[in-house]
Amino acid sequence: MNENSDNSTRKLLKKYVFKAIKATAKAVVFYLAYFFISSFLGPLSQVIPGFQQSVEAFVTVYICLIIISEMTAGTVYQYFFNVAKALFVILYMILALKGGIMGFNFQDVSIVVDLSFFFIVAMLLSLLGLARSVLQAINYLNQRVEAQQM
Amino acid sequence: MIGVASTFFWIFLIGFAVSAAFSVKDLNISFGEPQTAVTADNKILFSLPIILTNNGLYSIRLFNMTTKISSPTGYNIAKGSTFVPAIKRNQEVVAYHNVTIDVADMLARNQNFLFYDTEFKIIETVSLKVAEVVPVKASLNYTMPWGAPLYNLAIGNPQFEAFNHTHMKASVPLGFENHAMFDLAGKVQARMYDDAGRLRSTGETALNVGQHSTYSGTIEFFVHTSSRVDVPASGYIEVSFQTQLFSYGSVRIYYE
Repeated sequence: MNENSDNSTRKLLKKYVFKAIKATAKAVVFYLAYFFISSFLGPLSQVIPGFQQSVEAFVTVYICLIIISEMTAGTVYQYFFNVAKALFVILYMILALKGGIMGFNFQDVSIVVDLSFFFIVAMLLSLLGLARSVLQAINYLNQRVEAQQM
Repeated sequence: MIGVASTFFWIFLIGFAVSAAFSVKDLNISFGEPQTAVTADNKILFSLPIILTNNGLYSIRLFNMTTKISSPTGYNIAKGSTFVPAIKRNQEVVAYHNVTIDVADMLARNQNFLFYDTEFKIIETVSLKVAEVVPVKASLNYTMPWGAPLYNLAIGNPQFEAFNHTHMKASVPLGFENHAMFDLAGKVQARMYDDAGRLRSTGETALNVGQHSTYSGTIEFFVHTSSRVDVPASGYIEVSFQTQLFSYGSVRIYYE
């Protein structure tokens, strides 16, 4: 009895350790990608006030969502967090890119950048991600119901 | 499969956006020495050489630079545009940004520009397409001082003195400061009338006043006198300016 309980605890622990390692690996890859990209965007943060902070806030929240999503893998909550991730990206895009037309001042020069093209493509990809997560959640629930019926 | 395709598109999109933003820093816009000249139709031409060097990763398209000069009251004085269709990678393009000011037209609308220094409003706008797809527009507002060409214009009362038996010499003192950015070359004409409005004499003096310098001189002319017609006791003198860039006058000065 005790041996069985020990085994299941060990299995559960193993499962969570594996999940934690996977989540950490994903977060590290994501952070390294950000670190690599930010080295190119250095000059931009000097021109656009608050750019660095805004991107850092995005990366922090997104990494948190990646970790939570991975830790809840195999449950329906994973899909909730995937949806949250997609919604967060959409909202962030809307707020950060201001609908695609970004305006800021650098010294006495007023600069307007029309990122509509980038914004539309990013929104479409985010919506695709959102739809995918919703469909995955429905599929997961279907499979669970089917398994219960069998 | 959707996940892989979506990830691929995200990487492509972010990679493109980052490289486009990164390549902007390698676009160098510098300006040469501005040139000022007077055109054949007597307008002031400002010519500013723009050197565009694109060392970025992508071509730049539809580069357009526009300058609008307006008076403090908002009247549009001049507008000039320079358009470069494309600046390819590792290419240097030199374009000349020309703005022409029609001084005669400007003064026809407001003669105060002749006598009072002021400041013109300038709106400089540069637009271009970074990486051929991302439109960027930058604008800058600043002011440019306008120096009056006839600042502090003073036309004195005519002085008469006997010249010979038939003529009197009339001198009209004239002084002003040329605060303008251009030299004033032309002539000043004076027409003397008696109080009945009859033209009695005319005279003119050549003007050649450098920019930011003071002019002080006289317009001299001879008045015919005889036993029947004497120097008029009173009347007026009309003074007019004809220069390369503008004409002004006539100013009427009464004398007694």
